[in-house]
Amino acid sequence: MAEDIQLARAAAKAALATEGIYSMGAGRFAEVATYEGSEKVSGVAVRPDEIEVHVVARFPLPKPIPQIADDLRRRVRLETGGRKTSIIFTDLEVAQDENL
Amino acid sequence: MRIFNRLIMILLLIGLALLGVFAVVYSFELLGYKLANLPVGPVGDSVSGFVNSIESGPGPLTIAILALVAILGLVLLIMELKPRTPRKVKMQEGTYMKRDVVEKEVSAAADSTPNILDSSTKVKARRKPGAEVKLDANIRRGEDQKEIQSDLRKRIEDRLSSSGAPVSKLKIRMIESDPRETKTRVQ
Repeated sequence: MAEDIQLARAAAKAALATEGIYSMGAGRFAEVATYEGSEKVSGVAVRPDEIEVHVVARFPLPKPIPQIADDLRRRVRLETGGRKTSIIFTDLEVAQDENL
Repeated sequence: MRIFNRLIMILLLIGLALLGVFAVVYSFELLGYKLANLPVGPVGDSVSGFVNSIESGPGPLTIAILALVAILGLVLLIMELKPRTPRKVKMQEGTYMKRDVVEKEVSAAADSTPNILDSSTKVKARRKPGAEVKLDANIRRGEDQKEIQSDLRKRIEDRLSSSGAPVSKLKIRMIESDPRETKTRVQ
């Protein structure tokens, strides 16, 4: 469990550092998160065989979504020891500094 | 269908559990209840009559009822075994997109198309990459439907290809509407 939260933390950090990612996706009806004690990492679900990363993409997109996904996966894999990673785009969000 | 099957199974299991409790109570004559005192009634008589009729050679009605029950059971079994339609749109291996995101992109493209007064989008995820999109676009009466439709399709395809949102099937239906009843009156 302690390892799970560390992985989740690393995955979330890597995801948020990726260009084109606005925030972590929290899920609408069932929250996607990893818990340990009083700590919670939203948007990352650590499963036995893979890590599921839920993200909100920044709009306008700096590059096509598949490219953002590839960058994100590469970063997350670096941080999580090459674990299989699934990426789910849950929404598009217009950034506050964009006058759209 | 899964929910329907589950409900049937829950009801069946509740029924079986209750029957089991009654069977134990009546068989072991607990609390003064005896098997011989069971009120069989008209329902019990008709059930035993039905079973007797099957034993003594089933009639056409009996065969029809049994065939119907067998077919119903088979249909429910197939529905249960059928893999569930995915909720997320697959882009490539390990990358998915919520249907809402595809819906937003399609709606944005439709809303930016001239002569489209209103639109509604339905997105269905498939097991293979790409979503199935059904778009209903409202236009004024007397407009050139073909031209607007091809313009709309092009805009949607351009927008989706620039964002990388996967659509494998795009169905567009043009609906002539009164501008007073649509989201936008003038485009």
